[in-house]
Amino acid sequence: MMGRSIATRVSQAGLTVVVLEISTDRAAVVKKILEDDLDHEIERYSLTPSEKKAILTRIIFTKDVERACMCDLLIETINDDFTAKKTILGQVDGILEQGTPIIVNTSTLSITELAQGLTHPERVLGMHFLYPVTTTRVVEIVKGQVTGDEAFETARHFARVLGKVPIEEFESPGFVTTRVMVPMINEAAHVVLEGVATAAQVDLAMKLGYDWRLGPLEWADRAGLHKVLNWLDDLQRETGDQKFRPCPILRKLVRAGYTGARVGKGFFAYDTELNRVDRLPDDTPGLG
Amino acid sequence: MKVLVLNCGSSSVKFQVIETSLEMIEANSDVTVARGLVEKIGLSDSRLSMDTPGRKPYQEIGEILEHRAAVERVLKVLAHPEYGVLKDVKEIEAVGHRVVHGGEKFASSVQITPEVEAMIEECVVLAPLHNPHNLRGIIAARSLLSDVPQFAVFDTAFHQSMPPKAFIYGLPYDLYTHHAIRRYGFHGTSHRYVSLRAAKLLGRKLEEMRIITCHLGNGCSMAAIDRGHSVDTTMGFTPLEGLLMGTRSGDMDAAILPWVMAMEELTLSQLNAMLNKHSGLYGISGVSSDMREIEKAVGSGNHRAQLAFDIFCYRIRKYIGGYAAAMNGIDAVVFTGGIGENSDLVREASTVGLDFLGLDLDPDVNRKAPRGQEMIVSKASSRSAIIIIPTNEERVIARDVVRVLGGVMPSFSVPSNEAPR
Repeated sequence: MMGRSIATRVSQAGLTVVVLEISTDRAAVVKKILEDDLDHEIERYSLTPSEKKAILTRIIFTKDVERACMCDLLIETINDDFTAKKTILGQVDGILEQGTPIIVNTSTLSITELAQGLTHPERVLGMHFLYPVTTTRVVEIVKGQVTGDEAFETARHFARVLGKVPIEEFESPGFVTTRVMVPMINEAAHVVLEGVATAAQVDLAMKLGYDWRLGPLEWADRAGLHKVLNWLDDLQRETGDQKFRPCPILRKLVRAGYTGARVGKGFFAYDTELNRVDRLPDDTPGLG
Repeated sequence: MKVLVLNCGSSSVKFQVIETSLEMIEANSDVTVARGLVEKIGLSDSRLSMDTPGRKPYQEIGEILEHRAAVERVLKVLAHPEYGVLKDVKEIEAVGHRVVHGGEKFASSVQITPEVEAMIEECVVLAPLHNPHNLRGIIAARSLLSDVPQFAVFDTAFHQSMPPKAFIYGLPYDLYTHHAIRRYGFHGTSHRYVSLRAAKLLGRKLEEMRIITCHLGNGCSMAAIDRGHSVDTTMGFTPLEGLLMGTRSGDMDAAILPWVMAMEELTLSQLNAMLNKHSGLYGISGVSSDMREIEKAVGSGNHRAQLAFDIFCYRIRKYIGGYAAAMNGIDAVVFTGGIGENSDLVREASTVGLDFLGLDLDPDVNRKAPRGQEMIVSKASSRSAIIIIPTNEERVIARDVVRVLGGVMPSFSVPSNEAPR
């Protein structure tokens, strides 16, 4: 999901993207989803059909690692799984040209640990894109213990080329956005657990009260509750801080497979177009 | 003298070399020596193409990463021993730049000085999608042709003659005094050129005529030109207002916008894209933003294409009526731009039955009007003329360079037309 979104944004900025997938079949599936996403953007007036065409011509799919490594910049976007990320970094490290920066897309993993053991750890840095990458205006760029200035400067420039404001940070679990957002989701879940208010009421209070586009629980549904749970677990392990202990509701929902908008159910219910179907009467769009 | 005309967009540079002088302007005999285009700037497969009269078109593909490199390539190709049109780039005696927005600061074409450049920079806030690229072209040309004088010709300057009753919106006056929100109008160089040519073609003095000009291209606008002065125009603070366009909405109830934003939960950028890229002929018809495609679809019975066509022409008619009232009558209606010059159907639907305004189209002449030529398409008995004038904005830019150098560049400002501060 994140990889598709990043590829789209990079292509939108006029650059050519090579997407490395494990197989030709998988590439075809991803390409189809990417096209559907773009059609959705057209419906939302974010893109025109000719812009879609231009975006697609600049995205090339391959399963050939050597081909992918011929680029000026490598962005790793597999799921937030330490071992999987480490494996692919080891694979590309020997093929990439010496100066080519490696950007790791992660919300909670340590850049320094991921870079350890590579021949050029100084070229590894973190870039935390926020979903959907096509519209969010910010990207966190993260310096690990051994990240070199050259790679960091390239990333800062790259962020601007993508039309994003780079927030420069030092490595720390959850960086800024995840670390601040996730405890709020957790707290909202606790409020629901304690029976203080229903999930819908908690979200509506926060949304209208602070003029947010989404309440924290719907935000969590859209990000994926399994991911939120994963982040909390990582943050608790890294910091040892009990404030990151996941609320039991989260674990229950994830165990039941109710991981959020993409499966139709999380804290709330969603249709196949990912529209929420159980909004309260006061939560309907309008001039208010 | 040979003038290099540059029109720099976000990822493109259009260029022409035009040979002109005060005498050639008078005789309408300026010569386009070469014209060309650099596209896809910033990519590894940028394309430079050039057309030279009587020669095979030239094309090259290669990496051109920014505007300075693009202008550098253009100069190289212009002076190339085989494909070029100049023995040496030194033959270029001046550079004329198209600048989209001159705000209220420029009511004329000017030679570029550091002060002028700073003022163009101040107008970036009014045209954030255009002025920065225009400035890049200016900086590039200055660094590559350091001894050659540079000139700026503004899309907005010609309309600076409008009276406040035409340019002030019915909004809180603070928006004008604090943010300079007012009608500016665009396509000024085109409206100015075709009105002048129309007067010449009719053998009359521009200073005695009331002319309505219709620039119908990718963007569309009309202007009421009263004795040589633009007194009103359809485009406003941005090029969105007025006529229906390929993908732009033109006039509509502004209260629709907060309503749609709330109901569809759209962001500002989605709303902006909806108005500028998803509306107009394309938005209504669902067929195309191109009038030729719309006309084809109309021919095969597509109802929504027909509706888009009708709305397009109806708006033109409404503005012809409105501007006739604004000027107490009309002596000529001029059609220009890709659609205005080439669509006899649009010209006919926009003017048919307007004989009460003295406009009597000759349907036969209109239908058979040859492409690319100045042509009167109203009947000889028509009180007011309907005319096709192919526009040539690059030529105006080159001519203005000569006029500024010769000290004969008029200013379009009318001091009595200043709005209270």
